[in-house]
Amino acid sequence: MDIQLKRGLLDVCVLAAIKNEDSYGYKIIKDMKPYIELSESTLYTILKRLESAGMMTVRTAEHDGRLRKYYRITETGRKRIEEFKLEWKEVISVYQFVIKEDNHE
Amino acid sequence: MSKEEFLNELKSALSGLPQDDADERLLFYSEMIDDRMEEGANESEAVSGIGTVDEIVRQTLEDIPITKIVKEKITPKRRLRAWEVVLIVLGFPVWFPLIVAAGAVVLSLYIVFWSLIVSLWAIEVSLWVCLLGMAAAAAVYLFQGYALQGIAMLGAALFCGGLSIFMFFVCTAASKGMIKLTKKAAIGIKSRLIGKENAK
Repeated sequence: MDIQLKRGLLDVCVLAAIKNEDSYGYKIIKDMKPYIELSESTLYTILKRLESAGMMTVRTAEHDGRLRKYYRITETGRKRIEEFKLEWKEVISVYQFVIKEDNHE
Repeated sequence: MSKEEFLNELKSALSGLPQDDADERLLFYSEMIDDRMEEGANESEAVSGIGTVDEIVRQTLEDIPITKIVKEKITPKRRLRAWEVVLIVLGFPVWFPLIVAAGAVVLSLYIVFWSLIVSLWAIEVSLWVCLLGMAAAAAVYLFQGYALQGIAMLGAALFCGGLSIFMFFVCTAASKGMIKLTKKAAIGIKSRLIGKENAK
């Protein structure tokens, strides 16, 4: 898949993974696994990007005697998900057009 | 590989990064390994599940902006020694005027070019003033009956008028050329700066 496209998709996927409840790194990867494969190092990059864009916040909490980082979605992050849904409608209509051109040949 | 070995290897691989950035990444991967082990993986399984150090380093280099790396590289790892500070301070009377002079030369060149154009426009304006003045003088001469002087003045006025039309084209062409040149210079400087960043 095109890198730019995949990057945009993964951003929204991670947002969706923390949409309903705060989550942590490993859980995000596990939750996404059935849908899209994501490596730890890629996740780190995405989390950083989302945080600096103000789409989520991070807090450190104790878990089982060690520290774990939890990620929480912000209003901006929720807006991004809604935007994505609208954008995707456009993508689908472009896709339909592309397919139509194929049939003419 | 044990968790500690893995983290040590990663730590030395990321040593070129700013300290806080490297620390944060190490914490992240440490948490990932712990979470895998909590789910029942043994230590070496958990470590190999994270991926190799090389993969992580490659990904890290991709998403860290080159400027940050360069900055980390050129920022002295140690404090400047006393004699280096002294040298910079003592050298101030030398390097500061040099920088100011270089800036002044560039600025004055720019001003010289523009003042050339301003003087061209001044010629244009003076031609117009001559035209009006001579036309008025011609009218006065003719009314007073000095036909010869009147016609001479009228001729001179027309000459100025013709010259002013010619000058007008010269002036506008020069101004446009200067504006174009300024824009080109600005774009040149910008692309050089951006190019430097992209090139590496």
